[in-house]
Amino acid sequence: MDPVLEAQRDQTHSASEMDPILEALDPDRTRPADVLHSNSLSLAFGEKAVLSDVNISFRRGTITALIGPTGCGKSTFLRTINRMNDKVSGFRHGGDVSLEGESIWAPTRNLLLLRRRVGMLFQRPNPFPMSIKDNVVAGVKAHQIAKGKQLDVVAEERLRQVGLWDAIKDRLNESPYRLSGGQQQLLCLARALAVGPEVLLLDEPTSSLDPISTEVVEALLRELTPALTLIIVTHNLGQARRVSDNTMFLYQGELVEHGPTAQLFEHPKEAHTENYVTGRIG
Amino acid sequence: MVVGGARVASDGYPSTHRRRIADRVFRAFTLLALLVIVAPVIWVIAGIVARAVPHWRWSVLTTNTVGAGGGLDNAILGSLAIMLGVLIVAGIFGVLGGVYLAELAGFNRNGKQRGAVLRSATEVLAGVPSIALGLVGYLALVVEFHWGFSVLAAVIVLSVIVIPYIARGTEVALRQVPTNYREGAEALGMSTGYSLRKVVVRSAIPGIATSLLIALAISVGETAPMLYTAGWFTGTPKASLFHQPIGYLTYPVWTFWDYPSDQAHYLAFDAALILLVMVLVLLVIARLVVARSQRFAENRRN
Repeated sequence: MDPVLEAQRDQTHSASEMDPILEALDPDRTRPADVLHSNSLSLAFGEKAVLSDVNISFRRGTITALIGPTGCGKSTFLRTINRMNDKVSGFRHGGDVSLEGESIWAPTRNLLLLRRRVGMLFQRPNPFPMSIKDNVVAGVKAHQIAKGKQLDVVAEERLRQVGLWDAIKDRLNESPYRLSGGQQQLLCLARALAVGPEVLLLDEPTSSLDPISTEVVEALLRELTPALTLIIVTHNLGQARRVSDNTMFLYQGELVEHGPTAQLFEHPKEAHTENYVTGRIG
Repeated sequence: MVVGGARVASDGYPSTHRRRIADRVFRAFTLLALLVIVAPVIWVIAGIVARAVPHWRWSVLTTNTVGAGGGLDNAILGSLAIMLGVLIVAGIFGVLGGVYLAELAGFNRNGKQRGAVLRSATEVLAGVPSIALGLVGYLALVVEFHWGFSVLAAVIVLSVIVIPYIARGTEVALRQVPTNYREGAEALGMSTGYSLRKVVVRSAIPGIATSLLIALAISVGETAPMLYTAGWFTGTPKASLFHQPIGYLTYPVWTFWDYPSDQAHYLAFDAALILLVMVLVLLVIARLVVARSQRFAENRRN
């Protein structure tokens, strides 16, 4: 046999040998690359159409910024993904959103599990009226992920992850409302991360924060990828440029344009997009 | 100086004279309203204390009533037992009813809230005079069910009287819980019931505790329905729900004043004083509960 071929074969490991190694490098490699997919999604409240025919995929481990003028349907779209709109009276949807290939509205879908996998951070920090530690582990307790002493470990781990641990490790049993706004938002982020979501929805997470806290949160968001997939609604175009890989621009209920952030900001294809990113429409 | 029909001060701006007078009058009226509210409270407390304290005997607390004399031990224990019963029965149904009204009553197909019937029912119930409920309780429970004058009949009728207050108080307290908390809990994947129990109710506790306190104060102070259902008993309350009348503090206040003996009159005011102290203790307990539940509250005052 050709010695060169033979040497090559020695170097080529069989698939079964390589699997554990690849698995360790990327636990998600056998899962679909597109975590979320919106398939001609239309949303309406009663007679009022909010979004029409949105088609877009969200790749695993990326950050997508959702921009557009007030009332364009950004928040509604975001809140649909973890089905926060279901209970709003008159809410109707056409088309579909799928999480890893299965519709989020599928009858077999467990709503509570969906929300565990698709977490959310809100515009205003909303810690619960309980101690700081209980706040971090609130979701963990609800989903019975850990109990007893393990909860302390979870709390420390998540507070470290968001960089709050050193500042508040002696105040774990105090009220969260004595923390600054930025710290409260980080606490809420720790709480959302504690249940181990795959996707995190962020609804203008820094709009009520000061510039320094905003910077801290933005840096954290970058660290959360590629383990998580992030979708962030923002009014702050600078923030969209700084943190996101992809950007989607919504205007009057339609997805006008989407693509890599740099391309969308520097070479927008649509006139509306250009007008918005250059500040000619607001 | 008058310019264009309006009075103008010397510096050229319109006169503020009228506005300043209106302000003073408004302040005076609010102060008057405060006095009208506070004065009767002080009057009642002072009157009862002034008449009960001069001939106070501690044995009132430890001995049972004999005829229209003796002590009030039986009535105190009876009132406490009835309050406990009301707290359990009315507390459970009132709070759960309030939770349903505020949180779980969804909308029907016509877009109307399903709790409307329940809400109207509680409002009607709150408007029924307590003596009418007492009469119904007497005819239904005491006579028709053959329970006789009994603790259970009294507790049920009192509960029916106070449940509307508790349900309404609970509903209002829950409606004031910020949407933020509910959304946060929902987004974490908590079920409605779980988030209610662990997050929402927690911040509604002051309102719920206050409504329970009012309910207990009402039930300890009711007289007419008690005459119909609990009867009156001068012995120590017995651990029996049926066929066993029980003593309570409003009975001596209502009855003994009519008796032609000083002993009976003293006992009437002693009972009134004890009732007053009980209500004040309830107030303090409620404050403590509120303070403890609000350790982590957003609007806590330090």
